Amino acid sequence: MYNLEFENTIMFLNYTIALSDLGTLSNMGVFSLIIINKAGGLIYQREFQAGLRKLSTNDYLVLAGTFHGVHAITRSITPKIPSVQPPSPATSSPSTTTPAASHSYPNPGVPVTGLDYLETDKFRLTCFQTLTGTKFLLFTDPLTGNVDTIVQKIYELYADFVMKNPFYQIEMPVRCEAFDRHLGAWLRGRT
Amino acid sequence: MVVYSFYIFDRHAECIYKRRWLPRPTSIVGKSRSEAAPTGLGQTVRSSDDDSKLVFGTVFSLRNMVRKLGGEEDNFVSFTTSQYKLHYYETPTNTKFVMLTDLKSPSMRIALQQIYINLFVEYVVKNPLSPTEHPGGVGVNNELFEESLEQFVVRAV
Repeated sequence: MYNLEFENTIMFLNYTIALSDLGTLSNMGVFSLIIINKAGGLIYQREFQAGLRKLSTNDYLVLAGTFHGVHAITRSITPKIPSVQPPSPATSSPSTTTPAASHSYPNPGVPVTGLDYLETDKFRLTCFQTLTGTKFLLFTDPLTGNVDTIVQKIYELYADFVMKNPFYQIEMPVRCEAFDRHLGAWLRGRT
Repeated sequence: MVVYSFYIFDRHAECIYKRRWLPRPTSIVGKSRSEAAPTGLGQTVRSSDDDSKLVFGTVFSLRNMVRKLGGEEDNFVSFTTSQYKLHYYETPTNTKFVMLTDLKSPSMRIALQQIYINLFVEYVVKNPLSPTEHPGGVGVNNELFEESLEQFVVRAV
């Protein structure tokens, strides 16, 4: 009885390993994940798969800070399309027309964001910013599809295992074993 | 596809050419804009000068970041926000070509390369009257280059 159960476990293990290998080879090209807090500080960095150069911790901190600044600049260089002042009667006071209303953005109705996707020859960077200003940077293979789903899931895991962790101090580096475990398991288990 | 602006930066980090194509105003009214023009124009010129510095800072930082992560031979190609897309091409001599377009545009890397090969090299580099460096845009702002750039962008749209 014991023996049979043992064998079953081994078979199951082999099966899961084969599955995860398949997943890694077929379409999962997630290189690494970086989480930046709202002040531009690096709070989490993890590599899942080789593909990018390894940097020192100091370099990752610099990268996080630089990206935080660049992200703000990319939002401010959004092209503004001048719009003609609405035809107003000549008697109306000109002071009511403010300069802020004299232009519109290319995609009206969509909130202005900073850098969302960055493409290079070797990787693709997806940046997701939460409403509170935390940024998730996901480095993937350029051919990986469905990156938005992956980022959303990572955000869910972050909410569940980091934000709900009573011992986690907000804006501080993430050291939550449950988050690491679930993140790794989910990314490996995806096929 | 809409092209919003186009910049060339030389190896000394100076903006040697910039051009903006502002789309038609969003609301169409019959009234002439003549009285609003002077302030609007002044505003545009000043912010465009600042914009070119911001654009340079952005592409410079991102390029360095990409080189650090992807290795020396990796190239930064483009980035997208919810409102626009920025395309980047750098020549071996570190002249940087940057173009801002709308989100629907395909990759403009080939187009930027064509601008470099067919327009910049032909009309600026090979021009005997143009200096080797272009401080303040001297030599780049010649009629032939501007005219063909205009045509190139209009054709690409």
